[in-house]
Amino acid sequence: MIRKYVDVICLNDKGGNIRPLFLIWDEEKKVPIKKVKEVCPRASLKVGGSGLRYTCVFEPNRIRHLYYDRGKWYVEMNDHVL
Amino acid sequence: MRKTILHCDLNCFFASAEMLYHPELRDVPMAVAGDPKDRHGIILAKNVPAKRMGVKTAETIKDALKKCPELVLRKPDYETYAYLSDRVRDLYYEYTDKIEPFGIDECWLDITHSISYFGSAQSIVDSLLHRIRQEIGLTLSIGISYNKVYAKLGSDLAKEDSFYWIDSLKDIRDLPVSALLGVGPQAAKQLESHGIHTIGDAADKPESYLVSILGKFGSALHRYACGKADDEVSLYGNDHPIVKSISNSTTSKRDVGDLDDLKIVLTLLADNVARRLSEKGMYYKTVHLFLRNRDLKTRTLQIRLKENSDLGKQIYDEALKLFERNCDFVIPYRSIGVAVSDLSFKKDDLQTDLFSQIPVYDQKQKDKEAAMRKIRERFGDDAIFSLRLLQDCNLSGIETKNITWNESE
Repeated sequence: MIRKYVDVICLNDKGGNIRPLFLIWDEEKKVPIKKVKEVCPRASLKVGGSGLRYTCVFEPNRIRHLYYDRGKWYVEMNDHVL
Repeated sequence: MRKTILHCDLNCFFASAEMLYHPELRDVPMAVAGDPKDRHGIILAKNVPAKRMGVKTAETIKDALKKCPELVLRKPDYETYAYLSDRVRDLYYEYTDKIEPFGIDECWLDITHSISYFGSAQSIVDSLLHRIRQEIGLTLSIGISYNKVYAKLGSDLAKEDSFYWIDSLKDIRDLPVSALLGVGPQAAKQLESHGIHTIGDAADKPESYLVSILGKFGSALHRYACGKADDEVSLYGNDHPIVKSISNSTTSKRDVGDLDDLKIVLTLLADNVARRLSEKGMYYKTVHLFLRNRDLKTRTLQIRLKENSDLGKQIYDEALKLFERNCDFVIPYRSIGVAVSDLSFKKDDLQTDLFSQIPVYDQKQKDKEAAMRKIRERFGDDAIFSLRLLQDCNLSGIETKNITWNESE
């Protein structure tokens, strides 16, 4: 498993929260994030790193973790794409 | 009411942080070490596989590689360590506001008044161990006791990712006296020559006996050993950490072998300390000089001033005086450090001698230093500096190619 850094389009709301809206995969594919189920501080023991873990629901109902660590977003990736 | 104090120590912090961000290093012998080119080539932290191969903290890279040729070396990434340390402290803050840091990876927590809210000390400890492992990805050892010294000893005795409870002197009587906070190899040697080998021995002897061996520290040691160290755990300020001293030290590019070299190094160090003092708007009353010679023997000297000050020049002058009065250059020095302590936010209102000619505080010097700092802020650190630093650019680290010489008639 590897740590893959990704571009993310977010909404910074009035309350100071950050909500990821779209994930940009390989700088071309814009994947909408349907819903954020949970946000919690977590270490990623599989690929390394420590920050906020967003449990995101992507179309069609696929759940993936998105990590936010000091201003950068990454996903845990095996070898296959989302 | 008996206090409950925790001492939380992050296990092999620098090495664990590296492994957290680079999981491929978990199963190979790895150590975090300074750069051998800058003569900072010692092991700062190592992981368990490296420990098994006999690698020790503070030994030189050369020695470590002899024991373990396949050792992977990582340069320290202090930005990441500070980030993780801040997150850990913020997590502690969810349990108590009495948090006193002891270095980047250790903290005392006074949880006396949090117990009723969380149920028990045990549940707080379990929760801390679990959350730091899960949320931050690090492990810690926790010492639990009713005073800071025993709690610190407890965390040394605890295994990785677990805790050790010291309830009374009985639990630690037979441990060597060197296990106590503040007892270094020299003090331990002195104590042992007087028949004090264990913590129990130190606690059983009268305080005056320990004072006769160790001086002022003997009294503290007696309190430490008996469990009577009742120092409070300081309150945690997220934005205003409690500063007790400001220091700067350096291992210079070559050994410092004469007074000219020493003056160059002291100028740099005093300048840096004074800049940090002025950022905080603080005054110091005690100046410390730290010297480590080529044989790695360390010496610390200090002087307390009559009146507090914030001048860099005075730090330099006092450190130089300390050296000239007490030391020589028979063995050249490898590292030199300067520190100031007894800090306060207010200038002393000292009643001066009515007939004294020289004012103690030099306002002109203060203005000069403030002007130099302003120039540096605007044009960079190399924009203005003492001419002395040009005597040896290699030692002072000044780059002459950036300097334009203007000669005037």
